[in-house]
Amino acid sequence: MLDELIGISILLPFIAGTLCFLVKDHRVRAGIIVATGIALTIDSLLLFQGLSGSYSYTPESLLGIDINSLITFADFALLFIILAIAFKLGNPLIILLTLLQIVPLGYFELKMAHHVEVTPAFYIDSLSVIMNLIISIVGSLICIFGIRYMEEHEHHLHLKKSRQPRFFFFLVLFLGAMNGLVFANNLLWLYFFWEVTTFCSFMLIGHDRTEIAIRNATRALWMNMSGGVAFVAAIILIFHTTGSVEYLSLQTLINHGPALTSALLLPFSLLCFSGFTKAAQVPFQSWLCGAMVAPTPVSALLHSSTMVKAGVYLVVRLAPGYQGTFLSTMVATFGAFTFLTASALAVNMSNGKKILAYSTIANLGLIIACAGINTPAAIIAAVLLIIFHAISKGLLFLCVGTIEHAIGSRDIEDMRGLYNSMPAVSRITIIGILTMMLPPFGALMSKWMAIEAAAHIPWVVVMVALGSGLTVLFWARWAGLFVSGPHLKVFEADKDSGLLGPFVTMFKGFATKVKWNAPASIKVPMVSLAVGAIVLSLAVPWLYTTLVDPVLSSYRPGVFVEPFRTGPLGITSGTGAFYVLPVFLFSILGYIVAVAAVKRKGHRVISAPYMCGEQYADCAQPKFRSHLNSWKDYIAANIYMQDIIGEEKISYWINIVSLVILIVLFGEVLR
Amino acid sequence: MSMNEVVAVIAAILVSPIIGGLVAGLDRKVTARLQGRYGPPILQPFYDVLKLFGKEKMIVNYWQIFCAYMYLVADVLTIILLALQSDLLLIFFVLAVGGVFLVIGALAAESPYSQIGAQRELIQMLTYEPLLILVFVGIYLETGSFKISEIIANYNQPLLLSLPLLFVVMGYALVIKLKKSPFDIATSHHAHQEIVKGVLTEYSGPYLAIIEISHWYETVFLLGLCALFWHTSFVWMAVLVVATYFGEVLVDNVCARLTWRWMLPHAWTGGLIMAFANYFWIYEKIG
Amino acid sequence: MKSLINKSRVKSPWLIHFDCGSCNGCDIEVLACLTPVYDIERFGILNVGNPKHADILLVTGTVNHRNKKALKNVYDQMPEPKVVVAIGACGTTGGVFREAYNVVGGVDKVIPVDAYVSGCAPKPEAIIDGVIIALGKLAEKGKRVDQGIFERLEQTQTNIKKR
Repeated sequence: MLDELIGISILLPFIAGTLCFLVKDHRVRAGIIVATGIALTIDSLLLFQGLSGSYSYTPESLLGIDINSLITFADFALLFIILAIAFKLGNPLIILLTLLQIVPLGYFELKMAHHVEVTPAFYIDSLSVIMNLIISIVGSLICIFGIRYMEEHEHHLHLKKSRQPRFFFFLVLFLGAMNGLVFANNLLWLYFFWEVTTFCSFMLIGHDRTEIAIRNATRALWMNMSGGVAFVAAIILIFHTTGSVEYLSLQTLINHGPALTSALLLPFSLLCFSGFTKAAQVPFQSWLCGAMVAPTPVSALLHSSTMVKAGVYLVVRLAPGYQGTFLSTMVATFGAFTFLTASALAVNMSNGKKILAYSTIANLGLIIACAGINTPAAIIAAVLLIIFHAISKGLLFLCVGTIEHAIGSRDIEDMRGLYNSMPAVSRITIIGILTMMLPPFGALMSKWMAIEAAAHIPWVVVMVALGSGLTVLFWARWAGLFVSGPHLKVFEADKDSGLLGPFVTMFKGFATKVKWNAPASIKVPMVSLAVGAIVLSLAVPWLYTTLVDPVLSSYRPGVFVEPFRTGPLGITSGTGAFYVLPVFLFSILGYIVAVAAVKRKGHRVISAPYMCGEQYADCAQPKFRSHLNSWKDYIAANIYMQDIIGEEKISYWINIVSLVILIVLFGEVLR
Repeated sequence: MSMNEVVAVIAAILVSPIIGGLVAGLDRKVTARLQGRYGPPILQPFYDVLKLFGKEKMIVNYWQIFCAYMYLVADVLTIILLALQSDLLLIFFVLAVGGVFLVIGALAAESPYSQIGAQRELIQMLTYEPLLILVFVGIYLETGSFKISEIIANYNQPLLLSLPLLFVVMGYALVIKLKKSPFDIATSHHAHQEIVKGVLTEYSGPYLAIIEISHWYETVFLLGLCALFWHTSFVWMAVLVVATYFGEVLVDNVCARLTWRWMLPHAWTGGLIMAFANYFWIYEKIG
Repeated sequence: MKSLINKSRVKSPWLIHFDCGSCNGCDIEVLACLTPVYDIERFGILNVGNPKHADILLVTGTVNHRNKKALKNVYDQMPEPKVVVAIGACGTTGGVFREAYNVVGGVDKVIPVDAYVSGCAPKPEAIIDGVIIALGKLAEKGKRVDQGIFERLEQTQTNIKKR
């Protein structure tokens, strides 16, 4: 049963993607995408249900062809396609990087190892299942969102011939590659899926074929290809040092004996480096920010459930292998540094998508820092952060995409007072923002775990503390901008009263007369992600015992210590406690009181803001009376601190420092 | 939850605003004396808040009401968690919720004064939040726990003696959080400032009163944190709290308001250096 | 509770000072009230910068056609109960500028005034006296506010009737 489920979750997207490419009618294509999404979701849930402990699976053949040969063949085919693209782009760097993979890999396959067969080829444990759930559910929702979004997108661009088949081919394919990546135990297979995601992301980022899109796609390609080179080097080195194909199995590699620790440190470092490039850590942050030129579903997918998550998945997966080494400390330092600097960069952005991009990089940095801290509690924090970040960030990207289509801008300054014209979307966006930054929601709880876990390493905890201060800054002001605007008269007509009033309001919004006109394919993904972000945060004790805790037990059987205890109230550890339920219940109570206060009837003056007696009549138009009784507009904008931490100014130094950290890492490992 | 805890929570909810109000009254009296004035009665803050409740309700945007209440809720929850002797970091995060809602409420009004005030308030939060986390981490390194109950139960010497520098770091955070000069940048207790009343400009009447009460809760929370640094003896605890608060009032009276451009780098550098020095000391001691 | 609030109103009057083109003579005297010599904070009086926080509006200087709108706006932005104190010869009547072409006259030409403080410039003691008189009216108005009667609404009612 599980064998089939694994097969479906990898192969179905490949088949469905091809169908999307072939089918020209957009309705049929939409049907295929929705059906695939539903099938993948059910598949991942069944896999979650069916799995107990861990499960290994080695498929023999696919339609009568030996799979190992098939993947080797596909691997080289893919690399040659990339080589051809590199020649077409005329980019010597990518040509070099591709050749650096083709030649060593060819040498390895033909001369060194000959026919590599690793059993098991697939190894599934809780971590894989968590990743699979995220990819299948969040990823599918984003694909479904893309159906209608791309129609509007192409409408805006006035395209003569729809390019959607190609778009959805890569988008759906991506899910399959990611599923393969998280299931693979054979490093060579993992490498194949790794390269497929690189290739897909290149095609998707450059989808619009504008000059800037192609430039950014090229950058994404070379940065990820350098990660690929490191990956190949790691594979060869592992084989070289151990002299056995056995160690190309991820599980054997992680649970290697203590004798091999120092010998395997370099391959581990290379694999981590590969993960850093894919997770867009500094100094590779620019490819992910550049990826913003792509249509919104692409950025949502890259940022939340796929691509970058592949990078952190690898680093977290390998964590037990390098536990207690110098590499581990350096990974923690590197991740924390990324968290701090990316948060600082997010502060001086007014472009909503770039804020999200830098916040993604920051959160990935935090996950990597947790992997580097490498205590059971830190690993738990990393896994929870992967889950909650995927949901909230996917949601926020969809929100910004929707808003951008509506107002034609992704600048947060243009989102001032958006609550009055788009209450539903604004409300969902605010939920997304709050779930990223406030208790009792999961993202913050993971941060709590991370800080408590990092407390032993002072410089890491300092960077995490400074970084989390910065995150509050840019999230809070963004949430505030949505509600910044004049008082709405519509609100006065609102009649939700009684005990259920606040809940009705929660779903309908204060301004009830503004309806949310959007097709179901837009509404459903957004609403379900928003609900999911809240419900999962509440279900953290359950989530912890059923999903996250088993991750640990499969890590290092035998030396397993449970870092947290769950109770009906929340999660407690030996050193602290995070009461999810009481905080949530009290907040709900406060929410009801606050909404009731807003709705209380009676005399209430609606006044203009104070403008030294020169305000514009009694409505809150941003105007004041100037000379000769003329009305002048005024505007107040956010402080972006661009003169202190401007992107151009500090990016250079951030890159230098992060390179130094990487050089120190490799220098020490090589020594 | 035991009976004792229930009593502690109820007492905290009811008594905190009274203590906070009295502290505010004493603050004004002492400030007046330092300036050679007679000063208002000790109960003045209560008169102010009661009066504000009797005023006509005036708003720019209904979000202000919502945010004012959420600010109060967050601060009450902070106090409850403090009374339950819960996790320091969790308490701190809940405190941040209040700050966030205060800012959102200020941003809700399209007034340049409250908007700029909100931006400054955010920068103030940015300044003190990492510092407080560093203090809590220091407490953890010394005592081995983030939970107040376990710190009190298992650690039996004054924290101040091993964390003197971190206490100073917390002083920074106190100055900001208590809206004292030189860091009363977002809003000030005194008269008016260059941005009128900053974040509080557009809050008025009962809603301003709610914010004032929340501020009392916050004051009690901050004094509670101070008290944690000498939890072994009630007398010394009282001395420490009184001395710290008097120090804050003194600083308030001798300093001029500074800009955030000065505050952010200086508070961070000073705070980080002192925090590291103190961590180093703890490590040395543990060996 | 209501009596407690009403008592508090008298004990905590926050005032806003509005200068309608005064020669600054009166303004200096107003600010003098804050100094240690007079220290009006003894009575709980605070000088606030924002009409939305104020109970008492102190107006100095003559009202002219340009600043009467601002004066009215500031007055309208004060939540009730509220009182107005006109200060100095100019504030009460228009003073020596009364006949000037651009002058409207005293403050009471634009907004209702509850207490007048004469003098050019009045002494701080006189200003404090004026404020104390206004406090009595503040308490009276406070009782009306407690009953749900707002001047603001009554004005709108009469305006509608006039039309």
